[in-house]
Amino acid sequence: MSEYRVEMKVNGRRVAEAVEARTSLGDFLRLKLGYTGVHMGCEHGVCGACTIMVDGRAVRSCLMLAVQAEGSEVLTVEGLADAQDALHPAQDAMRKAHGLQCGFCTPGVVMTLASLCADRRCDEQSMVAAMSGHICRCTGYQGIRRAITMLAAEVGSAGSDT
Amino acid sequence: MSEQTLIPSAGSGAARWIGKRVERKEDARLLTGRGQYTDDVVLPGMLHVAFARSTIAHGRITRVETSVAAELPGVHAIYTARELAAQPITMMSFFFTPSEVPITPLAGELVQYVGDPVVMVIAETRAIAEDAVSLIEIDYEELSPVVTIADAMAAAPIHPGTETNVASEIGDEEPEEDLAQALQGAHCLLTQEVVHQRISQAPMENRAILATREGPEELTLYITCQSPHNIARWVSLALGLPQTAIRVIAKDVGGSFGLKNTPWKEECAVICAAMLFGRPLKWTEDRYEALTASNQCREAQMRLSAALDANGRLVASHAVYDCNNGAYPQGADNNIAVHMFLWAAYKMPAYAFLSRGWYTNTNGLAAYRGPWAMESLIRETLLDKAARRLGIDPVEIRRRNLVYLKDQPAVSCMGIPVDDITPGECLEKLVAHFDFAAFRKEQAQAREQSRYLGVGIAAYIEPTGSAGSMVTMTGELAQVRIEPTGRVTAMMSTHSQGHGTATTMAQCIADRLGVAYDDVTVFEGDSSRGGFGPGAAGSRQGVIGGGAAIRASEMLADKVRVLAAHLFNASPESVSIEDGIVHIAGAPEMSRPLGEIANIAYAEPDRLPPGFEAGLEAQFRYQPPPMTLTSAAHLCVVEVDTDTGFVKILRWISSEDCGTVINPGVVEGQISGGLAQAIGMVLLEEMPYDARGNPTAATFKDYLLPAISDVPVFEFIHANTPSKTIGGMRGVGEGGAIIGPPTLVNAIADALSPFGEIEKLVLPLTPARILDIVEQRDVSGFGASHSEMATAPVADAVQEPEAPPPMPENSQEQSAAEARSIDGDWNMVLKTPMGPQPMVVTFATDGAGGVSGMFSSAEGSQAFDGGRLDAGRVRFDLKVEKPMKITLKYDLLIEGDIVSGKCKMGMFGSAKVTGQRA
Amino acid sequence: MKPAPFDYVRPASIDEACTILSEAGGGATVIAGGQTLVPLLNLRMSQPFVLVDIGAIPELRGVDRVVGGIRVGPMTRQADALEDQLLAQHLPAFVRALSHVGHHQTRNRGTIGGSVALGEPAAEMPATAVALGAEIEIASIRGTRRVPAEAFYLGPYMTVLEPDELVTGIIYPDWPQGHLVVFQELAQRPGDFALVGMVGALVIEGGLIQRVGLSWFGMGPTPMKMRRVEAELQGKAPDALDLKSLSRLAVSDAAPFDDHHASAEYRRTVGGRMFTRSIGDALALGEVA
Ligand code: FES
Ligand code: FES
Repeated sequence: MSEYRVEMKVNGRRVAEAVEARTSLGDFLRLKLGYTGVHMGCEHGVCGACTIMVDGRAVRSCLMLAVQAEGSEVLTVEGLADAQDALHPAQDAMRKAHGLQCGFCTPGVVMTLASLCADRRCDEQSMVAAMSGHICRCTGYQGIRRAITMLAAEVGSAGSDT
Repeated sequence: MSEQTLIPSAGSGAARWIGKRVERKEDARLLTGRGQYTDDVVLPGMLHVAFARSTIAHGRITRVETSVAAELPGVHAIYTARELAAQPITMMSFFFTPSEVPITPLAGELVQYVGDPVVMVIAETRAIAEDAVSLIEIDYEELSPVVTIADAMAAAPIHPGTETNVASEIGDEEPEEDLAQALQGAHCLLTQEVVHQRISQAPMENRAILATREGPEELTLYITCQSPHNIARWVSLALGLPQTAIRVIAKDVGGSFGLKNTPWKEECAVICAAMLFGRPLKWTEDRYEALTASNQCREAQMRLSAALDANGRLVASHAVYDCNNGAYPQGADNNIAVHMFLWAAYKMPAYAFLSRGWYTNTNGLAAYRGPWAMESLIRETLLDKAARRLGIDPVEIRRRNLVYLKDQPAVSCMGIPVDDITPGECLEKLVAHFDFAAFRKEQAQAREQSRYLGVGIAAYIEPTGSAGSMVTMTGELAQVRIEPTGRVTAMMSTHSQGHGTATTMAQCIADRLGVAYDDVTVFEGDSSRGGFGPGAAGSRQGVIGGGAAIRASEMLADKVRVLAAHLFNASPESVSIEDGIVHIAGAPEMSRPLGEIANIAYAEPDRLPPGFEAGLEAQFRYQPPPMTLTSAAHLCVVEVDTDTGFVKILRWISSEDCGTVINPGVVEGQISGGLAQAIGMVLLEEMPYDARGNPTAATFKDYLLPAISDVPVFEFIHANTPSKTIGGMRGVGEGGAIIGPPTLVNAIADALSPFGEIEKLVLPLTPARILDIVEQRDVSGFGASHSEMATAPVADAVQEPEAPPPMPENSQEQSAAEARSIDGDWNMVLKTPMGPQPMVVTFATDGAGGVSGMFSSAEGSQAFDGGRLDAGRVRFDLKVEKPMKITLKYDLLIEGDIVSGKCKMGMFGSAKVTGQRA
Repeated sequence: MKPAPFDYVRPASIDEACTILSEAGGGATVIAGGQTLVPLLNLRMSQPFVLVDIGAIPELRGVDRVVGGIRVGPMTRQADALEDQLLAQHLPAFVRALSHVGHHQTRNRGTIGGSVALGEPAAEMPATAVALGAEIEIASIRGTRRVPAEAFYLGPYMTVLEPDELVTGIIYPDWPQGHLVVFQELAQRPGDFALVGMVGALVIEGGLIQRVGLSWFGMGPTPMKMRRVEAELQGKAPDALDLKSLSRLAVSDAAPFDDHHASAEYRRTVGGRMFTRSIGDALALGEVA
């Protein structure tokens, strides 16, 4: 079982660690780095709970090996807001809209929404479409829909300002 | 969406928190990845567990070879059932009764389902543990698998030492004569048949446990569960350790829905191994294990007959219900609640049933949101069928039969007192909200263009917040204190798996104490904090925990008033608390922050009134009425594509009476979550087994959970009337999953009515099954593979080895038997829905056919008299107070030293009695 | 659900990758985006000794105009292909099909080559390659070869690819501007594999169907090319078509089976209707490239 050295940036911090090739990026973030906000709901790419951002894009961390993240910029839900105790607009919208119950699917949902917020072309419809990549067993998606409506309005108005 | 609540504005302060859609206390933490779920916890020296599991459904283990696995670097220990037996454990049902068939954490001799854990590996990492598992060899002598209910009826018992595969049975094989006549002689007799698929509860967080032994008999468990208190109690009984020696922590739980009620095989294996091995052990179930080896739910079939008169009024009804218990259910179960609530909201004069649970070589049965939901599904779909048959509008047929407020108090055909339900009133509000005439017009026009729209309605009631009738179902405890700083903290016996109890309990407290919501912090999730509570089971926490929080806060507010009145020389009535400030009426200059008063209460005993207990603390354990009923009516509109069988839900309206709403966001969230699960059950989810007993939906690619695109926007009408509990709440956790399925099925059936009836409702209604109905042929292939079930009447297919012997007329032998006195002690077992109840019965005859005697069991003793003995047949009544006031009617047959027969238990139906002379 | 142990290499060139594959003697598996492979690894359904990550080989990425067609590098991410101007302009059927592959999050990692090379019979991209007449370019140390997509697929997850071979490009032939797009898919949820699907293109010139390529997905062990229908349509006037009998012909080119999600009979029944609907739609709407 060979170990490999990987270097990447996680939540703005440089990380250099030895990992087994078989270790998923999700497990690496949870077990080696302690980012337990990355949730493993299925480990086969369907539920979306493990979604993080790699180089700005929302991806499944259970479907990526840690060794494949070499040289990447990785963002987890812990690193999303600018400051401790602050909330990213996606997090804030989810809180206002009662978009979560048990919170297990939530970090993944938030990361997808946050990645889409960064894309000015993104509208409500495409956010809802992207949400089909997340399974939430608790909420029936009602609050998530409301959060999307709020966010899309924000992204839209931010777009028209510029 | 209405946000009004009907609760009177009592409390201490002006600012109301009950009824507000406040942001949840839990969310800032959970949204930023700072939750603490079981798998997030890491302890020094912790090792990881993986299981080698049975690959066959039924067989005898002939060889287990672990030596190669044991040599793998990183492997610390390997346990089979034999080694693990060094730490005995008694696995119990949800009701804390020992399982009827012995269950060990690891399979010893027999494997009883695919996924049955056989060997346990303890290793450095989960990956290494899995590597080791792949090196373990297990050989079996295969036995024929019993997979379906039909299999179980025909096959030899799977559990050695049992006589049949009947895990649990209650009710009567045949309806009694007058009921049979009422059914046959009625104007219209309808039968509805439902085959409900097996469901995986599938919380997003799988099962997980981290167990660590602290010293010789102390245990700390981090476990994802429905109540840390309940787990501590269960584990202490299972291991025979004092409850205080076991600390259970479950800060955040990623959903449960009934699955995580009690630890099961794998968790128990980890607990025993942690006791034996002495290092912290963690097992986190992966999704493959969760779908193939966890307990599951819902698989059942039911046939309901109901007779109606020419006016569409219900006359009589009979049902046969069978459910698949799997090999090791969390309590052998025939789901008596199905029958208790089937007609409870309807004017149904007569009802009888037979209800059975069956053992099979499949994963065990566990609870799932509204475990008895079959009753609403089969009743409401039958009513729509009846409406179509009789040419009555679906709303009208319910109007004629529902128990409205004006009809109450009433007692249901099963003896349930009904004095506080509003399903009819909810229906009226719903109907007022939806233009049926316009819809029917639109529907007719659409049909002309070959577009098929349908509307479905359903109404129901649901028992919630129950306490006092079962050992596990206790009241809830609130311990509230105003800290010396003026901040308010509370320890609650409640627990959240997403319910947001830290939010709703804080709202109750803030409201009644007169402080800001932000100034209240609620602690739960640790058995070493707060008192016993059974947690989230049966939609109870808002009702009972809320009541406890309200009353404890009121008690505390009174204490503040007494102290403030003393300090300011005012009357307690003139003291009010608003937003954390204590005011004296008419003396604004005397207003003081609560913290100042609290400081005095804790630190200046000289200034306290005589007899005043220092500090500002109060606790209250709320024992509510035995149950509180929630009512609702729902409506949905669908369009069915009859070319493809795809169903699109266009609209969904909920009109529910859940009493006082603490937080509309939380209430709507609970209903919405249940409705999404309902949609899953009707259209998507299915956990099938092949003929060899292999579960065939092993990943989320095959087990289809509803996605955002499957769930419409729900509209809510809060038609609330306060209940009789403190605070007036009614439970709302399960309702969506109960009323959702019939609402949706009725809409689909309405859309498809031009093509024919759904003669037999087989869930899920996949696109292929929808086409079966549209084309009136077997498109799905279900008919081909299940033809035997369609033809064999459920009751006829049964071999009844345990059927009570026919009551003899007046035979010679019996007279002889009678000659031998029945006087003396008899050991008997009563098979109740909550498990078998052993008891000792002492008979005393008077020589003239009269019998009196005494019943003794763990619960106590009770005498009876006025019984009759006639030709070996003993009949007598026993009036009991627990679990509720009920008259038990015993009808026993004594043959030599053997006694058998049945006991009619009011609304619980009849149960079997067996026994022999002591 | 952790993979069995394996080694990991990230070659920088096609040659290097081919050498590794050849030396591994069948024990190596290529990973591109990993969106289908990693679940198989996690479930231990795939247990390679060495994983060859082709993510660092620049030639395998990108979309290029080549003589007579468009070449898509196998490492091209699905999300990038969706935004690609060249593909949008010349291969609208490809883009349309691609928008149904997986989810936003998996398209961010998933690749065209991965989807094409894996050969899931109910997936969109293999059927698209077959329908549009693509060729799969394959390299090994033994040389390179090109295989028509139709001949590439042997069965579910089975292709002609030898263990030492690597897909280095998928070449889609030109379809003239103005061709009609055919695409329909029935899946229970977005991103699920199809219960039934069909994809293809039609060229109408001078009032007659001059060229046609159609394929089923989810209707057999491989993408099923509708050969007989294609032959039947060739040279016909669109308004003279008997869609009913054509749809029967189309279904007879398929070999659907029963699975957990639908029966073969369902697939045949709905497939026929889907054919009528989508050909009808394509001709009526004239969804023009
Ligand atoms: S854990 Fe990665 S998608 Fe479910
Ligand atoms: S909030 Fe529990 S799964 Fe989404």
